[in-house]
Amino acid sequence: MPEQTLMKPHRLIMVLVAAVLVLTFAFMMDWAWLPKYSSEIFDALWITIALLVSSIVAGFLLAVPIGLVQVTGPRPLAWLAMSFCTLIRGTPILLQMWVLYYGLGSLFPYMPGLRQSWLWPYLIEAWPYAFVALTLSFAGYEGEVMRGAFKGVPRGELEAAHAIGMHPFTILRRIWLPRAVQRVLPTLGGELILQLKATPLVATIAVVDVYAIFGRIRQETFIIYEPLLMLALIYLILAGGIAFAFRLLENKLPARG
Amino acid sequence: MPGRDKQPSPVIEVNDLHKSFGQLEVLRGIDLIARPGEVISLIGGSGSGKSTTLRCLNLLETPSSAGLLKLLGEEVHLKFDKQGNPEVSDRRQLRRLRSRLGMVFQSFNLWPHMTLEQNVMEAQVQVLGRPKNEAREIAHHLLERVGLTERREMYPAYLSGGQQQRGAIARALAVDPEVMLFDEPTSALDPELVGEVLTVMQGLAEEGRTMIIVTHEMKFAAEVADKVIFLNQGQIEEQGTPEEIFKAPKSERLKQFIQSIN
Repeated sequence: MPEQTLMKPHRLIMVLVAAVLVLTFAFMMDWAWLPKYSSEIFDALWITIALLVSSIVAGFLLAVPIGLVQVTGPRPLAWLAMSFCTLIRGTPILLQMWVLYYGLGSLFPYMPGLRQSWLWPYLIEAWPYAFVALTLSFAGYEGEVMRGAFKGVPRGELEAAHAIGMHPFTILRRIWLPRAVQRVLPTLGGELILQLKATPLVATIAVVDVYAIFGRIRQETFIIYEPLLMLALIYLILAGGIAFAFRLLENKLPARG
Repeated sequence: MPGRDKQPSPVIEVNDLHKSFGQLEVLRGIDLIARPGEVISLIGGSGSGKSTTLRCLNLLETPSSAGLLKLLGEEVHLKFDKQGNPEVSDRRQLRRLRSRLGMVFQSFNLWPHMTLEQNVMEAQVQVLGRPKNEAREIAHHLLERVGLTERREMYPAYLSGGQQQRGAIARALAVDPEVMLFDEPTSALDPELVGEVLTVMQGLAEEGRTMIIVTHEMKFAAEVADKVIFLNQGQIEEQGTPEEIFKAPKSERLKQFIQSIN
């Protein structure tokens, strides 16, 4: 990155504006509620991060085969994967979440034997539905992205691996998948941020994430702007962290051929 | 040809090889025999089927039919799926045979997410199951041989075309192939980089490697090849020693071809 100096008129003005804003927020506004709720905020923040990370990991693990079968076949599986992606990407995630929670969730009690099974304690909680909905959504979007990425790996690189006698699974593990992931990395950072901003929807099915807790703070304290500002700041920091991490990661990877 | 029977048994033996892409018949009955230590050049105009012939030899293209397809003394059998598309019957046998054939491509096809050294190590470790230390040592040795010792930690994107192609040759050599297949190895190179790749190939020919080379470098073919095969419209139009082919072409088409490239 080129060396930057703050000693330029427009930068000095920006710094000044920022300082005024921060000081205004800190001293003119009401932050007295913060200590009282801080432990709950941290708990809720943990829920948000846990939902984000787990749905990304599980969703991506699903996206790899969803993308792959659309390129390799067999045709029935490719068709199934394509339908899944179309369905997920063509409907609002809010709707998907509600269908799972209010729709499917209300059917479970009538299924014989389910009440006695080990699954039951989880099925009466809200977070598993949130996790599944977020995971499926991410899998749908990334499945489509991975399809393009698998397809985009130059055929010659795979031919070189075939020509030297590599097993197809070895090729997938050592050449095809790493090259596909390398190709999606620049867009993946943006997708993670979109996923982060989809997480507040879980508040609508009674999961207390960071968005939900600030809603409660507003209701209980009748303070409006301060909690909203704080919430915005939290999402900004999380999104900034993701963007920063991906920039580091991309710089570490070799140039694309 | 008299006296052929006394020669060592062929490493590649192909009879009546046919290949069609849809309605288009690209190969119309190719016969080819390569004996150990032989350097064979496939020449011909574009669309003559020379690259397809080469790619059929390690089954990157599956022949539509073949009277005989014998690689390294083993017969490869074809079967046909429900749509009538040809397939290799025994994938495991194919992988085993492929690991004893080295292939060099027109567009190098090094794996861009690995350094040069990793490229040369990959098949040794993943296909032959060599320990990493041993594979690295062999990679060093091969990269030294093609003059890329200082570049071994670099990724392909930072190398010139000639360097990439020399690296690709080292990668193909890493599995100790019994036959090397070259598919227009210098066609994608800037003219000033062609020489360095041909020099490496000449070295391989001189040490007695069996090589089948699809090339447009007629001077190189004349110098290095034991046998030159001229293909035209999916058939072998003429074959013989470089002298016979280049100095005394018999068929009209070969005469035209040689005239057109001079």
